[in-house]
Amino acid sequence: MIVQGLAFYMFAAILVASAVMVISARNPVHSVLFLILSFFNAAGLFILIGAEFVAMILVIVYVGAVAVLFLFVVMMLDIDFRALRSGLLRYLPIGGTVGLILLVELAVVLGAWAVAPEATTGVAAPLPPPEITNTRAIGQLIYTQYVYLFQASGLILFIAMIGAIVLTLREREGVRRQNITRQVSRRREEVVAVRKVPTRGGV
Amino acid sequence: MEIGLAHYLTVAAVIFSLGVIGIFLNRKNVIIILMSIELILLSVNINLVAFSAFLGDLVGQVFAMIILTVAAAEAAIGLAILVAYFRNRGTIAVEDINMMKG
Amino acid sequence: MTNLLVVEYLPILIFLAISVAISAIMVGASFLVAKQNPDPEKVSAFECGFEAFDDARRKFDVRFYLVSILFIIFDLEVAFLFPWAVSLGDIGMFGFWSMVVFLGILTVGFIYEWKKGALEWE
Repeated sequence: MIVQGLAFYMFAAILVASAVMVISARNPVHSVLFLILSFFNAAGLFILIGAEFVAMILVIVYVGAVAVLFLFVVMMLDIDFRALRSGLLRYLPIGGTVGLILLVELAVVLGAWAVAPEATTGVAAPLPPPEITNTRAIGQLIYTQYVYLFQASGLILFIAMIGAIVLTLREREGVRRQNITRQVSRRREEVVAVRKVPTRGGV
Repeated sequence: MEIGLAHYLTVAAVIFSLGVIGIFLNRKNVIIILMSIELILLSVNINLVAFSAFLGDLVGQVFAMIILTVAAAEAAIGLAILVAYFRNRGTIAVEDINMMKG
Repeated sequence: MTNLLVVEYLPILIFLAISVAISAIMVGASFLVAKQNPDPEKVSAFECGFEAFDDARRKFDVRFYLVSILFIIFDLEVAFLFPWAVSLGDIGMFGFWSMVVFLGILTVGFIYEWKKGALEWE
């Protein structure tokens, strides 16, 4: 129990600290790296409460893909980030005020809060017994009972794919591409011409 | 030293507020704004998973999966728009985006 | 259940501690043991090498970005495949066909990007 408490406080502290660094780092590359750190710690928190599958997916998808995407964009766009940060202190008061108000409101809500007794009775899908793993339990739900959500997420991925191609793919003029079908299927008659060259006559 | 639901909700609330502050703070830099949105979605995920674990209902984790999908798609499309915008304008300053207004 | 969790993840924790320790020792030892005597000729790039201390940010081609987006999409697709594969015995034919529909949708997207030439690298 004490190990879990310590682990929780360690993960939570690193998570909050790296989230602060994400929004305040001077260099966007550092921001991305701190974002990766904060996702790792969130995955640690998820493991602590037994949501192993979501934790692993968080690491795979966010650290493996989304953070790399951010890093690519930061590296790809040749931007003067100094100029973009110029208005930072100007917006600090209003941003800090709004954030603080939000935090105080959330704290007020959290302070006077208790789980309603009927919340634990209307459970849609109870947690599985320990011999069924978390991944398997999620699999039993997501493909049958929540099939519409599953297909909707498939459509979202589809749209993301199409949208990314439409937005960023640009045909280049005058680039010679390899067309393997044409290359393989060309025949001898189309490309080879045998000429009789008379002596001293030239072609 | 019992870690309860309130601990997780507090962490999520702090992360959410940090995300909102980040949006205000980096008003000129779209990349950091997108990262702040990722932080906000992460806090939502923490809430869902915490409730799922402490109320004994697995559906929260299913929803967390869906939110992960949506967040990844949002990042992909948002950054694609950013790249297309940068190509046309040579900058990613947010205050110039209002030129589409009629 | 919670104690079980700690027991299960203890090897990972130990691995983590050992790997951090080893990498710290490696980096630290190279600082302590190695002779450090840099001069401009030694630290400059040799023939066609990169500049050693340069701005790490150089312009990438946009096509890298497109490839990484498509990687995200298929990464998530595989992430959805894991629980399906584990629980295939419990969810029956309906679960099987729902995954087939899901894969079909993404295959349409894959065909689109192939025909569009998004995967080509001239």
